[in-house]
Amino acid sequence: MLDGLCDKIINRLNTGVLLLDRNFNILMWNRFLAVHANQHDEQVIGKNIFQVFPELPRKWLERKLSSVIQLKNQSFCGWEQRHHLFELAHSRPITTDSDFMAQNCTFLPIEEHGQVTQICILIEDVTDIYHYQTQLKKTLQELALSNRIDGLTQAFNRKHWEECLAAEFSRARRHHSSLALVMLDLDHFKLLNDTHGHQGGDKVLIETAKAINELLRMGDLFGRYGGEEFAVILPNTELSGAEEVAERIRQTIALKAVDYQGQNIGITVSLGVAVLAQQDKRYEDLISRADNALYKAKFSGRNRVSLADAS
Amino acid sequence: MNAFDLTEDQQDCLQELINVAMGQASDQLARYLDTFVYLKVPSIEQVKAEHLFDTLNYESDATAIVSQGFFGYEGIRGEALLMYQPKDSHRLADLLGYEADELTFDEQIIDLSSILTTTFLNVFASQIDNQMSYSAPRLLSANIGKVNEHIQQQAFNWDLALKVRISYQVTDYSFNCDMVLLIPEAAITNIKAVLDRILAEF
Repeated sequence: MLDGLCDKIINRLNTGVLLLDRNFNILMWNRFLAVHANQHDEQVIGKNIFQVFPELPRKWLERKLSSVIQLKNQSFCGWEQRHHLFELAHSRPITTDSDFMAQNCTFLPIEEHGQVTQICILIEDVTDIYHYQTQLKKTLQELALSNRIDGLTQAFNRKHWEECLAAEFSRARRHHSSLALVMLDLDHFKLLNDTHGHQGGDKVLIETAKAINELLRMGDLFGRYGGEEFAVILPNTELSGAEEVAERIRQTIALKAVDYQGQNIGITVSLGVAVLAQQDKRYEDLISRADNALYKAKFSGRNRVSLADAS
Repeated sequence: MNAFDLTEDQQDCLQELINVAMGQASDQLARYLDTFVYLKVPSIEQVKAEHLFDTLNYESDATAIVSQGFFGYEGIRGEALLMYQPKDSHRLADLLGYEADELTFDEQIIDLSSILTTTFLNVFASQIDNQMSYSAPRLLSANIGKVNEHIQQQAFNWDLALKVRISYQVTDYSFNCDMVLLIPEAAITNIKAVLDRILAEF
């Protein structure tokens, strides 16, 4: 009587139950699997598992199942490593984008007189978990990104930019490769703010950042260093190359007019360029040499590029 | 001495049970993996929750930790942590009998962890007339920095755990890893009861 009851319960479980003999022929399966695989008992019972489910990675699974038989240990396969083993329909076809049921599979040895005579495979539907974990991961990535970005200009924020510089600095020193730094500052920005208001100033910052970004190569690291001060890390770049980039930025900005409420705002930038030198023990040293060059550019009349003193 | 300390007899008894289980487990593993598996003499000690991170970190510069829960009758339960180092990983697929492109590194260490944990604990359980069940093994993180973060951020609901550490060595594949079994307070009391029963039977 209890046997009959167990059958009923097994067929009401929301977990797949699949029983195999030692040759991997299917001895039994429950309703959950029949429904989700959409096959009849007569197509399945007595047949080899690899015939019924040709999608299974045969060599891998045979090795896995043989470990269950030989070690008499249960074994697992989780969705995080393999999204699914069996191509089964799942219960959230409308509200998730999963083609097949995400699965956690457990392989259980069934022993008789100390020998493994059958293997029971339990298949849990974890499409839900898969879906929410994927969403969570995506959200965390977005969060990590927004943590690195300056909200106004979309350039890297100061903190992240400095971390990048620290990493590039030690990489360049380790590999004896070149590294250049361009620091730049908008000229007379305070005056601009006073004339056009802070929203006008913001618009100029946004447009300037956008224009600079378009001039850079992949691998260049562009950040907002302070209020109207920006900085560009140029990995694997010599002084002449960096000067060229700086000059291009200067020209582009000088030729650009920012449209704000029907008015054209003209803007120029001053730039300081430094390349990694023996004397730079910390990345801050490189910053201060680029910064000094920037002040030199300011003092000698603005709207120009100035190079740090060669060491 | 606190209520969770093992007496000298209990400690000896547990040590002996573990030694025997290790012997049988290494024999089974050797047959399955077709190579010798050495298990170093285990260490058994108590660890405080606030020091868990230190002991894990101190003992190995693990880059990956796989956790698997185990639970048997008589309230014997705990968590097994398998700790791997990067240099251990080159020939893992080979050792397990898989083609390297059949499975990812994560899957390899999860697979191996499950085999090591269940093989040892099954033998151990049979010696104390018990039977273990296991949760699915989970990769806590493939990055020790994150594991540290993970562990440090936890507010544990236990103060003390019994820690059994066993090192596995597969010299033919120059592979090592550590298995750390952690048994929380409530289960220590249960294990002590089992040990007392075994001692009384002698």
